[in-house]
This record gives sequence, structure tokens and C-alpha cells, in this order.
Amino acid sequence: MKPRFLLVTTICVALLLALSTTVLGGAWKGTITIWDCPRWRDANDNQYHWMERKIAEFESSHPGVKIEMIKVPWAELAEKLNIAIAARDWPDMAPIDISGGTVKLDHIDQGVLEPIDPFFPKDELADFFPAALEGYTYKGKIWGVPQAMTVHALLLNLDIFKERGVEPPENGRWTWDEFVEKMKKLTFDRDGDGKIDVYGFSTYVLKGYHEIFPMLFMDGATWFDEARNWNLNTPEAVSALKKIAALKFEHKVTPQTMGTADVGGTFQAFANPEQRTVAVEPWASWAIATCLTSPKYKMNFMVAEYPIGKRGKPITISGTGGFVVFKQKDKGKLETLMEFVKSITTTADQLEFAKNYGTFPARKSAQEADPFADTPQMAFAAKMMEYTISVPRHKEFMQIDDRLQAELQLVFNGEKTPEQALEDAHRAIKRYLK
Amino acid sequence: MQRSSKFLLKVGAGIGYFILVVAAVVSLLPLHWVFATALQLHDEVISHVPPLVPRVALEYIPKVLSGDGEGASQLLYDSLENLRILFTRTDMVRWFLNSLIVSTSATVTILFLDSLAAYAFAKKQFPGRDLLFWIMISTMMIPGHVTLVPMFRIIAVLGLRDNLLGVILPDIAMVFGVFLLRQFMRTIPTELLDAAKIDGASEFGIYSRVMLPLAKPGIATLGILTFNATWNSFLWPLIVLNKSQVMTLQVGLKTLLDRNLVDYGMQMSGAAVAAFPVIIVFLFFQGYFVKGLTLGSLKG
Amino acid sequence: MGLQKILQDIARHKWDYLFVLPKFAVFVAFIGVPVAWSVFISFQEFGVFQTRWVGLDNFRVAFEDDLFLIALKNTVWYALIVMPANVLIALVLASLIFPLSRKAQTFFRAAFYLPTVTSAVVIAMAWKYIYQPDVGLLNAFLRMLGASGRNWLGQSSTAMWSVIMMSILTPPGVGIIMYLAAMGSIPNEIYEAATVDGASGFQKWWRITVPLLKPTTLYLVVLGTIGSFQVFSQIMIMTRGGPGHATKVLVYLIYETAFRDMEFGLAGAYSLMLFAIIMVFAFIQFKYLNVNLEYY
Repeated sequence: MKPRFLLVTTICVALLLALSTTVLGGAWKGTITIWDCPRWRDANDNQYHWMERKIAEFESSHPGVKIEMIKVPWAELAEKLNIAIAARDWPDMAPIDISGGTVKLDHIDQGVLEPIDPFFPKDELADFFPAALEGYTYKGKIWGVPQAMTVHALLLNLDIFKERGVEPPENGRWTWDEFVEKMKKLTFDRDGDGKIDVYGFSTYVLKGYHEIFPMLFMDGATWFDEARNWNLNTPEAVSALKKIAALKFEHKVTPQTMGTADVGGTFQAFANPEQRTVAVEPWASWAIATCLTSPKYKMNFMVAEYPIGKRGKPITISGTGGFVVFKQKDKGKLETLMEFVKSITTTADQLEFAKNYGTFPARKSAQEADPFADTPQMAFAAKMMEYTISVPRHKEFMQIDDRLQAELQLVFNGEKTPEQALEDAHRAIKRYLK
Repeated sequence: MQRSSKFLLKVGAGIGYFILVVAAVVSLLPLHWVFATALQLHDEVISHVPPLVPRVALEYIPKVLSGDGEGASQLLYDSLENLRILFTRTDMVRWFLNSLIVSTSATVTILFLDSLAAYAFAKKQFPGRDLLFWIMISTMMIPGHVTLVPMFRIIAVLGLRDNLLGVILPDIAMVFGVFLLRQFMRTIPTELLDAAKIDGASEFGIYSRVMLPLAKPGIATLGILTFNATWNSFLWPLIVLNKSQVMTLQVGLKTLLDRNLVDYGMQMSGAAVAAFPVIIVFLFFQGYFVKGLTLGSLKG
Repeated sequence: MGLQKILQDIARHKWDYLFVLPKFAVFVAFIGVPVAWSVFISFQEFGVFQTRWVGLDNFRVAFEDDLFLIALKNTVWYALIVMPANVLIALVLASLIFPLSRKAQTFFRAAFYLPTVTSAVVIAMAWKYIYQPDVGLLNAFLRMLGASGRNWLGQSSTAMWSVIMMSILTPPGVGIIMYLAAMGSIPNEIYEAATVDGASGFQKWWRITVPLLKPTTLYLVVLGTIGSFQVFSQIMIMTRGGPGHATKVLVYLIYETAFRDMEFGLAGAYSLMLFAIIMVFAFIQFKYLNVNLEYY
């Protein structure tokens, strides 16, 4: 009789204890799986050190919580994430930009993401720039925490400008004609073998990358007009594309690989001390940070605006990066997860990004700390944020982008005229515009 | 007449030999290039006139002979830089182990299951035998990609994404082995099996103690072909495996291509590490490859 | 009565069924079910939480959008050039190897088969590097000859040809070995008779060897067609279907449609059509290369 009673009591006490730690104690315990992509390098060439440090900090302040990071190269992020979503086996958090089409708006409609609004009171949100929040707003809710803004700008190798006695554009601003003139002067035969080996300008045309687009927009066109009609088959788009193509085929101020090379090759041609054969290339702002701080690619350069066309004022493209949280069943886990996301998007983190990663803070408090006091190049790019547009919010943007860029590639291959390519692109994407 | 035709024969043989040698050079050049680049120094990799033979191969022994031991070992150290970067900065070791796990377990399982089934198909009489056999064999004509999407859904439902089992299971379902072993086992005289039966051996005993030893050459052939095929398989693992820690070699290799800063020395080192085991296996077991191909053909 | 007989049969042959069962079960789960399912999928539209029946919509889209036709055209081009080239090269090389000494035979067989055992990924990586415009071997070679290099994989005019060249220059190891084996099984007496009749070496090859190798040729043609219709790894590694759509082949299109765009239904429709096309080709080949198999 007695032993049994003892046994029952022990079990009851144990159960109560277990309950009180899980329910009353409140702290959720378990494993969180996150994805992250390569950031700036540390001394050991590790590009994931920032997230590793943040995870370690969070784990030590939250006993029982384990965070597993899966490292994903940027180039594979969209594809891998889509596969994970199709398998209903998504990570808990990922560095996604919802406007870029990495995660489809359709997925948000289907309930794949968690809105962050319930966890961020108004006064906390007030610290974020409205433009940054806008990047994560869809159907009245906010679907991610913005960490950083990026912008596209032209990088100018000042050593080549000096070598040729060409004045860089005053205040970083130039018209298209001025730009073309300077590019002509910057294209020359350096080693005197009778062949051109240094070029004024180069870039690439690849799906998911938009370095060339501000040029395409210089005469007034963008992706969509205000009534959400496709805008890149208008005369403004055609005239701009003609001017860009002329750089390669008429003025011959670009290497033969312009528009057909890959990202790595294009960057090497600009920044690798063993090459440096292109004077001007457009890049997203991460390249500014790389050319400022990387021991290998450090160089003497300035940042300039994209040349001004018929639009009459400069234009460029910006994006908002941050973190999204995926659908959770367990409320405790969701709360812990949101806490983690908050812990990696603080003012200090955004400052660190701004200084090392070539991004602009999404928090006003971080911007006020003046992260670019010593880097005029970044400060200049930050000013360019005033006249940016962002990638349009469209359910099928990824496919639209793919089809459009495929046609643009053919222009730089010399295979299609700008008119033809833009017309074919419009035809190809009609299916997605409906 | 006789003499001139002999002369012609000789010229013909000479031309034939020449063609073969040229073709062999073309055939092996890309592989040579992979290994050569893996051992090249950094300035050789990015040079506009790439050296066909890496400097270390040309200069190492002369340096040792001329007493410059220090210079020689420095050269050797430098030329292993690509491999060192590969092994320290990527999950190469994991990928290699994963590939080894996938290929070995798939091969062993396939050999067991396929030899069992092939034995029954080749040597037994039972109702529905031919029907079952032809159902399986007819799917050999269906290209694998047709089932890519449903297979992916099945693996996802089973929760086997990012799991090596998700790669192994579909491999095991392949029917080529059943076909190949059945062809082979049919050539083994049935009397041998009957004798064992009369001696009172169990059904499984006949399979394991009589059939298996007799079918050894066929099984070895299938084993090597399966190992080779699973080691090289790319599309399916690419879809199933996301985490770097669970990737197989071929999928891991692809991630070396996707980096923003292209490093051909490292890429080719990765390719060399992936190619090396199969080349060794092939050189040792060349005969089995040949046998497997001729056994697996339609005639027979 | 019928059922009882079946049960009796099964009981009597239980060992036979047990031997076949494990393999058959795995086969049904991972080939049978997916094959059947793939038909259903092509009539559905995929959603994360629910799927919808859309009838023939996917097939309609497949034909309205020019991507499928472009990919089909690229694939057929690739197959029509690579497959015959491979078979022909295999036949020629095997014929040249066959009269050699045993040692030489072994050497050349290994040299030609080695690229086949190495993975397509490795070979494609090597060729991608060879084609690279700045530091690639091919352009270095051309520059040495005084010609100027090209961006082989980056230009749509040369990209597909570069992939095709790679496939042709990677020797058809399987074909060579199969031809060698088939040549070994041709009875010597046939040649002796021809020699008595005064036939030259080339005549013997053309009149006797080639016709007698026809079953092997047929096998290689069918296998080669199926294989080249399924080209994928090379494209994935070297060009990802670009530039433009210059190297978009069917299996790559299926991969992209399914696993990037998540249009599983459309990808399923593509798959079924590709399967049908392969079947048509195989059927035509069987019909036209109608072989007299009596010799075997």
C-alpha cells in the first residue's frame, strides 16, 4: 500500500514540476533553424561570423534554446527556399527581401510567413525609416524586420581616370553624353601592342541582378507605369536600351564580354589588382564596402550617379534587406524567434552592417550615429537614396525578371535589336501580367 | 600487287594509330587539365597562357637534385595551396564522406535486393513471374526526370529532405540491376541448383550458398557500375539536399561555382578530389566495367 | 474457388514471392507510384497547402508560351548532332582499336572510357574552365595561333555549339566497348571467306563488319537518343540555359519550372510530353533500323 502511494505522489510532483517549468516558467526550449547568407569576411575569411556571434549571444542568454544556422549562398537562396516551401519544410527564419521575389507574394497570401506587427509596438517601429518598412509591407501588414537598405551606384577607378587625364564627374553627376565622352577617353591600349586592353565601362545582364536597370530607366521608363501597365516596351525604354547597346557596338567602350560575363568575372576585371581593366562599373553598394575595406580589393575609387538621360534627373534602384519569420505552430517558439530577430536587428547591428557590409541602416537611430563619417563613398551613395525606385511588388516578378533579362542578354550578344528584344520580352511575360 | 597492298596496310595502320592517339589526347585533356590546375600556383591559374604542366611537376625533382631542398618543399607547399583552401574553407571532407555513405549503402542494398529478385526471376517458376518482371523492366525506358516532381513530394512527405536516405531510397528502386543479374544468372546451369536442393538445402541456402558464389562476376560488375552511377549522380541530390553538411560531392562541387569571387584553382581542386576515387576504381576494375556494359545490352 | 487457388499458389511459391517482394516494394514506392502520380500532377495546379485541378490548362500554357518550343528545338538539335556523332565516333574508334594487340586495346579502351566514369559535373566544370574567355585553355590556344578568342559560353551564337562540341569530344566510352565486344563475336570464317573472294580491308569492314554490328548500332542509337534528350548536368554547370534561352534544353526547363518557379503542374506536363517525344523517336528508330536479328 505505502510504496504505491509514494510512487503516485512522486509522479504527481514530477508532473507538476514539469508543467510549471514549461507553462508557468514560460521560457520556450527547443531548436530554431535559420538560414543566412555570406556577409563581410573576417580575418579567417569566414563570411558567417556575424550571425555565428549573434547566435552564441542569444543561446547564452536563453538557456535551452539552440539555434542551427544553414549557410546558403545568395545565388541559391531563392531556388532553395522555394523548394523548401514546396516541401512544407521551411526554416524558421531567413534573410529574405519580399520585394525581390525571393519569396513569392503568393506564398504570403497562402500563409507561409508570420506578420511581425503583433511583436513590434508602434514606438519600436517608429525608429525604422518608412521606406524600409514599406519594403516589407504587403496588404497592410509587415512581413519582416528590415535590417539594411542597399542602392546601386557607379564605381569609378580613379587611377585609370588619372592615367588618361580624364576629369571625374563633378559631384558625381553627369549627363549621358558627358558619360559617353569620358568612356571613350578611358578606353585605350595600355601595353602598346595595338590592341585595346582597358575599357571605359562594363557590366553584366543576369536574372536577379539589376545593375544595368537604372540606365534602362534613364529616359523615363521603369518596369510599370502608375496604372501598373508594363512600361518597358515604350519608346523611352527602347531609346535607353539603344544608347546602352551603343556603348558596346557603336562606341566600343566596353569589353567584348559586356552583358555576357558573370558577376565574379566582372568584379575581378574592375577590382582585382591583377586586372583593373575597366574604369567604371555599376554595383550594388556591397562592392563599395569591399573596395574600401577588403585587403585584396582595396582601391582608389569614387562613387557616382548613373548618367542622366531624357528623364532629366538621376535615378537608381534600391532594395531593402532584412529577415522574415516563417509560419509557426508553437506560440512559445514564435515569441522566442521574434526575440531573436529583434536581437539581430538592433541599432548596433545595423551600424556594424553599414560600416562593414556597404548597406544603409534601416533604423533612424543607426543613421544618426553617422556611420559614414570617414567614408565619403558610402556617404555619397547614401544621398542617392533620395531618387531611387525599388523592384516592383508583383506576384510573378521572378519569372518576369527572368524572361526580360533573357531578352536583354540577346541585345548585348548582338543578336536582337533593342526594339525586337523589348517587344519579345513583353510577349513572353504577358502570361504573368494577367 | 601483294607488296603494294601490304604497304597500304601499313600506311593504313599508321594513320589509324595516329587517329587513336589524337583521340586519346583529346579524351584525356580535360581531366588532365583538372588535375594540372589543381596543382598550379596562383599566378599560373590566372595567367593568360596557361601552362599545360604545372610548375611543381617540372621543377620539383630538378630542385631536389640540385640540392635546393628548401625551395623544392616550398614549391610543393605552394602548389598544394588550392587543396588546402578547399579542405579548410569548404565542407569538402563532409561531402566526400556523404558521397561515400550514399554510394556504399546504395550499392550494398541494391546488390542484395536485386540478386534476390533476379534469382527468382531467372531460376524459379511461379505465377505472375513474367508479368512482374516486365512491369519492372518496362519502366527502364521512362526517363528519370518524369518522376522528379512526384518523387520530390514523396520524399518531402516522408521528411527525408536534407537526409541522405532521401537520396539513397530512389537509387535503390532502380531496376537495371535486376535485369543485368537475371541475364547473368540465366547462364548458370540449373542442375547445380537442383543438386543443392536434393542435398536438402533451404531455399535461402540455395540462394546464398550456391547462387551467390556462382553469380559473383555478375554481382561484382553490378556493384561497380552502381557505385559509379550513384557517386556521379547530380540532379536528384541537387533537389533533395540543401544543407552543406549533408551534400554529396557533386552537389557540393556546384556550390563552388556559385561564389561571387571565382577561384578556378579551388574549383578544379574540388573536381579533382571528386574524380580521383572513380578513376582509381576504374583502373583497378576495368574488366568489370566492360563486362557490365556488354551484359546489360539488349541481346542475350 | 479462384481465390483459394491463388492463395494456394502463393503458399506453394512463398519463397519465390519473398525473394521478389523487397525489390518490388521499393520499386512500387519510388518508381511505380511516382510514374502514376506524374500523370495526375500535370492536370493540377500546385499550392503550398492545397492543389487544384485545372484540366488541360498546363498543356495549353506549354504550347502558348514559346519556352517549351525553344527548349524542344534546342534539345532536338543537340540530340540530332550529338547522338549520330557519338555513334559514328564509337564505330570508327572501335574499328581502329580492334586489330591492335591486347595491351594496346586495354590502353585505348581505358583512355576512352575514363571520361565516361568521371561525373558529368566534373567534365562540365573542366570544359567551362577551358571555354573561359580570359584564362581558358581554348582562347589561349587561339591567341597562340594569332586568332582572337571568344566568350564561347557567353555568346548565344556559340553557347549551344560549345556544349555540343564538348559532348562530341568526350568520347563515347560505352559505345566503343560495346562495339569491341560485338566485333569479337563475329565469326572469323566470314572474313576468311571474303578474303578468298579478294575483298579489300575496307570492303570487308563496310560489307561485313558494319552490317553485322547493326544490333549494337541500334542499341546505341536508341540509348544515345534517350540520353541526349535528357542532357542536364552540363547545362546546369556551364550555362544555366543562357544566354537568352540559347541553351535551354527540356530537362533544364523542367527543373527550372518545377524547382524555381514551383509550377509543378506545368513541369509535369513538360515531362509527359518529353517522354512521349522520346518514345516516338525510339519507335521510329526501331522501325527504320529494322534489324535482322537472326545472326545472334
